[in-house]
Amino acid sequence: MTRALFNRDTAISAAFFLLLGLAWEYGVRWSGVQAYLLPPPSAILAELWQSRGPILAQSLVTLTEVFWGFIIAVVLGVPIAALIYFSRTAKRTVYPLFVALQSIPKIGLAPLIVVWFGYGLTSKLIMAFLFAFFPIIISTLGGLASTPAHLEEHFRALRATPLQTFWRLRLPAALPSFLDGCKVAMPLAVIGAVVGEFVGSNDGLGNLILTASGSGHTTLTFAALFAVTVLSLLLFYGVAYWERFIWWRAA
Amino acid sequence: MSAEISITGVGKAFDGRKVLEGVTADIHAAEFVSVLGPSGCGKSTLLRLIAGLVPFEEGAIQVNGEAVTGPSAAMGFVFQTSNLLPWLNVRDNLLLGINLDAASQRLDEAALAELIETLGLTGFEASYPHQLSGGMRHRVAIGQALARNPQILLMDEPFGALDALTRDRLNMELLRLWQRDRKTVVLVTHSISEAVLLSDRVLVMSERPGTIIEDVRIDLPRPRDPSVTREDPAFGDYVVRLSKLMGVA
Repeated sequence: MTRALFNRDTAISAAFFLLLGLAWEYGVRWSGVQAYLLPPPSAILAELWQSRGPILAQSLVTLTEVFWGFIIAVVLGVPIAALIYFSRTAKRTVYPLFVALQSIPKIGLAPLIVVWFGYGLTSKLIMAFLFAFFPIIISTLGGLASTPAHLEEHFRALRATPLQTFWRLRLPAALPSFLDGCKVAMPLAVIGAVVGEFVGSNDGLGNLILTASGSGHTTLTFAALFAVTVLSLLLFYGVAYWERFIWWRAA
Repeated sequence: MSAEISITGVGKAFDGRKVLEGVTADIHAAEFVSVLGPSGCGKSTLLRLIAGLVPFEEGAIQVNGEAVTGPSAAMGFVFQTSNLLPWLNVRDNLLLGINLDAASQRLDEAALAELIETLGLTGFEASYPHQLSGGMRHRVAIGQALARNPQILLMDEPFGALDALTRDRLNMELLRLWQRDRKTVVLVTHSISEAVLLSDRVLVMSERPGTIIEDVRIDLPRPRDPSVTREDPAFGDYVVRLSKLMGVA
């Protein structure tokens, strides 16, 4: 029953996107819009296949930047959130500092980051990190603060030490919110890396988009854009996958 | 017989508002004592003071001759909400208290199996709280307190949120457990019949600021059974008397 329903839903989605693609394809053909302005999907698919080598290679570059930027955002963000949560001093100093930093348009920072850290991987992973960092801090903080008061009292009655209360109660209680933060942060990290590549790099999908459009190769621009989208989706679902291990999110 | 829990002239205020005033009571070992009172009379607060969960300014509380300064392993607390950790299964929730407290005695597999059996949770060891009914969650919560084998069990309206039928069944099981283990129990409740059915003594509290206005000894024969005990004319007399004290009759 559920399987049949699933198939029907899938069929509806597939039919919708197929129709959308066909509308694009024939819209472009019949209206006579030039391919360098808007190529039809068939040309983009052909380009994807033809340039699969460079596209895959550049995707790998961008993936590496996003991966490290995101990992560093988590590794630094979670302890900093814990610090802000537990320390009044940190709440009055570190927290407003990060809120202020978050208010700086990070796209405007990109040229500076490239000047400071060069054209290589470092400046791009820093851009990815900057985009991903804040949602992770905010979601971890929210998760820690959402620990139910009655469970905290219960842990006191059980004579749990503050460390035990942190590891066994506050951290698991914060996980659902933390994971929601990761789901927001991951696509942002992709944007950060691509922006970094726009501003200064010799490779990556952002660089490919820039060079392709700069040389009037619109079809390749679209193909690279498509690759960025797929990369972002895959990374998002890679994070969402972990939700199944946090089944208490609704409890 | 010296008192196991001795409460002398205890007062407590929250934000300048008096919740408890001059509470004095002695609770002896192996006694089942209910604290009965209207909502907001401070009976739950009194239980938290005994448990060492909430500090107080006036008076003194001693457990086993020692002043209460904080939560103690001698006392197990069963809260109004079942308070299970959603990410732990039944078995790990039962063992939570033991696992958190390095000083508490371990529970061997046989004893754990017996506890699970007594609670009627056999076959549910690996289930998670969201897979259990409300009544079962409360049984796990009681089991968690019992697993540490505390000398005193403090219960704060443990069945308050349950339907009448489930509540009756859990009361019966609680009675059976108590008749077997003879722990000291302090039960906070607003149900008059529950208090009469279970207790040796009922401490009746006034409206806020709460104080104990009557200490009623329940001389009904034990072992008690809800279906038999409720037929006893004396049961009805106690219910009427306590209702009058509570101002509801």
